[in-house]
Amino acid sequence: MIEWFISNREALKLIYGIFVALICFFIVFRTDKLFRLSLHQGIRYFRNAFLFFGIGFILRYIVGTGYLFSKYLFEFFLIMGGFFLFYSLIWKKFESSKKEAKSSLFNLRIIIFYVLAIIITFLDYFWSTYCFMFFSQIILFLIVVLISYFNYLNKKGKFLKYYFLSVLMIFIAWVLNLLASLVFNWEPWVILIVYLLNILIFVLFFIGILRFTN
Amino acid sequence: MGKKRERLEVIRDILNSIRTTRNIKPTRLLYSSNLSPQMFKEYINELVSKKFIQLDIDAKEKKTFSLTRRGMDFLQEYKIIENFVENFGL
Repeated sequence: MIEWFISNREALKLIYGIFVALICFFIVFRTDKLFRLSLHQGIRYFRNAFLFFGIGFILRYIVGTGYLFSKYLFEFFLIMGGFFLFYSLIWKKFESSKKEAKSSLFNLRIIIFYVLAIIITFLDYFWSTYCFMFFSQIILFLIVVLISYFNYLNKKGKFLKYYFLSVLMIFIAWVLNLLASLVFNWEPWVILIVYLLNILIFVLFFIGILRFTN
Repeated sequence: MGKKRERLEVIRDILNSIRTTRNIKPTRLLYSSNLSPQMFKEYINELVSKKFIQLDIDAKEKKTFSLTRRGMDFLQEYKIIENFVENFGL
């Protein structure tokens, strides 16, 4: 299987990118509809997370395969997607639900995330590595895992268990990415596991969205 | 003592009260909403600004609230929105 994966790697990467991007934009479309109706800020930031994930995957796997900057743009959008997902869980602590910001993409709180994402991307570009992204996302998703675990324990909601599992898998995927970079020298079997894990994560979110927005 | 209502539940209750009576006077809506006057004012201002409800004033200057199309849509989709927010911890 690994040989087959290696020999068809470019085509598989393209299919993988299209598949994940399609799921992301489906989620954006569905949640945007709910946001426009409710003006709920949590839905808005959740939507933004998948918008950034979707753009990132398009830039990396569809538009820019082989271009140096596509890697770093992908990195920037992926980091921003992670920040938005994180913020969608904690926005109530910082914002009033009655006064929504005019823009959820450019407001004072979100600018902090942009600055962080640009710094992390720049550091990785400068040192020709991905480690700054990997470490930052590992820390971020460790926090997201803890928040979603407490949500699962304390709130009602059938999907909270799967949400927790999904973010736990995102955390594992980032750890595997870090190991692939530092320990396994980008061995194809590790990359394959990361790809499969990512597909599983996005499919889980897709199922959740399908089930709870119908 | 009952559980404190979530913001979306309060909005649903206000919109439901307006839908049931079609046109409702502000004082009657305040009583049916079970909110303090201050909170009531905040919610009403929000709902008017988001175009979920509108304030109608007739020739005798009598004020009533009525539901807009958007408010109707919100009530219909409320269960989905509530479910989604609840299940994704938002």
